[in-house]
Amino acid sequence: MILNALSITMIFIGALSVLLAIWGGISSLILYRKWKRPSGPEERTSLEDRSYLVFLIMVIVLLIRLINWPLFYVTLQSFISDIEGAMCIFGVTQVKPGLTRLLEFLKPIIFFLIGGWLILNHLDRATKTSPLMRRKLLLLSIISLFVLVDSLGDILLMIGITPESLVSCCTTVTDILNRPTRTTPVSIFGPEYGRPLQTLYFITHLVLLGFIGANLKFRIFRRSVLGFLFLFSILNASLFLLSQIEVFAPAMMHLPFHHCLYCLWQYVPDSILLFGFFSLGTFSVGWGFTTDLFGKIGEATDSLPSYLRNIYWFAFFFLSAALVMLIIHLLVD
Amino acid sequence: MALFVILVVISSALGCQGERKSMEGRCDDDGVKIEPLYAVYFTLRDGTEKKFCSIACASLSFSELRGRIKEVIVVDERSGIKIHAVQALYVESEVVTVPHVKNRIHVFGSREDAIKHLDRFSGKWVDNPFQ
Repeated sequence: MILNALSITMIFIGALSVLLAIWGGISSLILYRKWKRPSGPEERTSLEDRSYLVFLIMVIVLLIRLINWPLFYVTLQSFISDIEGAMCIFGVTQVKPGLTRLLEFLKPIIFFLIGGWLILNHLDRATKTSPLMRRKLLLLSIISLFVLVDSLGDILLMIGITPESLVSCCTTVTDILNRPTRTTPVSIFGPEYGRPLQTLYFITHLVLLGFIGANLKFRIFRRSVLGFLFLFSILNASLFLLSQIEVFAPAMMHLPFHHCLYCLWQYVPDSILLFGFFSLGTFSVGWGFTTDLFGKIGEATDSLPSYLRNIYWFAFFFLSAALVMLIIHLLVD
Repeated sequence: MALFVILVVISSALGCQGERKSMEGRCDDDGVKIEPLYAVYFTLRDGTEKKFCSIACASLSFSELRGRIKEVIVVDERSGIKIHAVQALYVESEVVTVPHVKNRIHVFGSREDAIKHLDRFSGKWVDNPFQ
């Protein structure tokens, strides 16, 4: 185990999250089941009071888990100097590759779920009758399960990464000619795939921005349209990742043959901001869809359009900011 | 909001310039600081020079730059003297020179030094990777 302030913080947050996720998950599931049954005013009041206590505590836990995603990478970055052969986060991920890959996959999903739940919670709190209470409780119990797995994973990883590990780093994996991120575009565009790939990415990004803009202007908040936007944003995110690895990261790092995103964050630190903006923009498109999916009930339906408008403005703004940052980087280069 | 966008623009511009400075003296393949004893240098036909931290990194870039390379220079790890890649002897052994790429290929200027290393660290002869 590598002991530093960050790893201790990760373990502390992890342990706290495990305990509260178990308590919060079970409590919300029990409350969900009780909420269904008709009850007298006193029992109802007690049920509401318990629910608000669970929400109050779990909101804090969920906010901490939101911060946990960037903190996870900052902690891995802090381990680089202690692991022989690691020159970026990739090297650290090679100490426990399976577990690290699982956590890297889980964390953005949890971030998305938590964000969506917090928006639903906010929407519900703006009403007088709390029509989303049952859905919130059910979703909270599901999210608690994810949080539990993620937190246990964090603890195991922090304990499992040992300083004497010898690993090989990104160069031997991300720069080889038969890497999947190269062979896929080569099979579609041919050996000179760089320019077509980046053009395709710019087109999809601009089209996505156009769709969001049109949605905001004409207020088309139909579920099918929002679902399509969500799927399109996932496609755009896939293209973003592919073009970052193959085209933009090497250009921004001034290392034309190096395709490691962890190195990009290390050598060009403001690219972290770019990735942050892009993630928030893409997640916001998804949050718009999930808010409509789960929030269209009773009194909440009235305030839903204004929420959706705000969420899509958020998406438009962050996706635009990511695009502006990327273009500036490419122009300055 | 406008202020935020301006902040993003400034940060991008500063980020680019800062990054440029930090790349000097680093490997042209993966950006790692170069240990001169294990460095490899390519001179391209247009006169520009590319420098790499190890045989492993240089080999990866060699396949991409093959047609543009005029000359490859390696360093004799015993004396630290730069020599032409064709004149050097290459030994693969259990000793790792550059850990992050797990480079086990060693470069020697003299046969005597190469054999000594080969015997001591259970090595084997390997071909010049730059041909």
